[in-house]
Amino acid sequence: MADNQRPACVSCNTHRLCGGRGLLTLKQGAWASNPLAIQVLGICSALAVTNRLENSLVMGGALIFVCVGSNLLVSLLRKRTPHRIRMITEVAIIATFVIVFDQFLKAFYWDMSKQLGPYVGLIITNCIVMGRAEAFALQNPPILSIVDGVANGLGYAVVLAIIGFFRELFGTGEIFGRQVLSGQWYTPNQIMILAPGAFFALGIVIGVFNAIKGPEPEEKKP
Amino acid sequence: MKGSLYALVYAAILGSTCALLLTAAASFTAPYKQANEDAEENLNILIVLKVPLQADVSSKQLVEIFETNVREGKRGEATTYVYFPPEANGQPRAIALQFSGPGLWGPIKGFLALEPDMKTVRGITFYEQEETPGLGGEIASSWFREQFEGKSIVDENGNPGVIIKSGGEPTSNKVDAISGATMTCNKVEAMLNEAIKRIRETE
Repeated sequence: MADNQRPACVSCNTHRLCGGRGLLTLKQGAWASNPLAIQVLGICSALAVTNRLENSLVMGGALIFVCVGSNLLVSLLRKRTPHRIRMITEVAIIATFVIVFDQFLKAFYWDMSKQLGPYVGLIITNCIVMGRAEAFALQNPPILSIVDGVANGLGYAVVLAIIGFFRELFGTGEIFGRQVLSGQWYTPNQIMILAPGAFFALGIVIGVFNAIKGPEPEEKKP
Repeated sequence: MKGSLYALVYAAILGSTCALLLTAAASFTAPYKQANEDAEENLNILIVLKVPLQADVSSKQLVEIFETNVREGKRGEATTYVYFPPEANGQPRAIALQFSGPGLWGPIKGFLALEPDMKTVRGITFYEQEETPGLGGEIASSWFREQFEGKSIVDENGNPGVIIKSGGEPTSNKVDAISGATMTCNKVEAMLNEAIKRIRETE
């Protein structure tokens, strides 16, 4: 697409670095095609680490970091990467960011690292990160790819935080480890901490998201 | 052919760059990780020795508590951790020793704490194990570990050893095994007895 044909940015009305698609990309990633609630990707970690709000936030932060970093690098290298080995390139870049984050957690946030266990390392295989690198960063300029990484990471982190909030609240009556619901009238519902509670919470969140967003428009058949 | 060569060179450069970055990250964080692991080990020893602790102590406080209360020593080949409370005038209150050995799926490591008589179990912990959750993994649960407390590590005739087995006559050195986890229990019994033998030999 030639430069003068490109639509001006919806947010700044100019032909800036984001290529005029910054806001749209942000909205797509964080809301309209939210990786967790709409695309239903990355479920494994979303179920495993959301028993506490703090864990959910750290995990969300990890995904934002990895998504932004890998999207940026994949995008920067996209014209030099041989097509045949693009996937292994993406995995190598993603793995590097994940391990760096994991090392950082182990060094400065030991307790959290122990609680998240293998799930930080497993971000390497998270479909969201790989999917964004393959589907977006490989075709788009770096700045826009960063926006896409932030958007998708944020989309994941927010849903994780919502699930974590309700699981901790109903499962232990606490938020960030502080008593919120008084033990005098509230009996913590253990099931919310255990695996089934994660399924319930995630199902409800996906349902609510889809209800607010409305039904998917039918694809027009040619 | 030319394309393949380019891909090969590209992969080599990318791989080396990533490896370099990871090495840098690992060597930068290594001292911090080591400190965390040391603090973790100190915590495990303090717990098994039943040194009074607040619920949320920082790593720094842990090291301090450890240094004022616990002295490392040697008994034969075994390293012991002896609990000398400052208020007890040099009288030891408990002695801990490490034990380890192969489990069913991976290594099992833990600490066994004894009363000053060197016969009665004060406590036991397993800080590393990968046994089947719900079966062998139950060795880390409190009901299994609490069975050991107050038991003797020698039988009535003075022979060193504990028995982990269900049923039969209750004796002073026997605890109930976990049903469905015979393999794990046998292996734990073996590694405990080895550690006990080592510590009793030096008496």
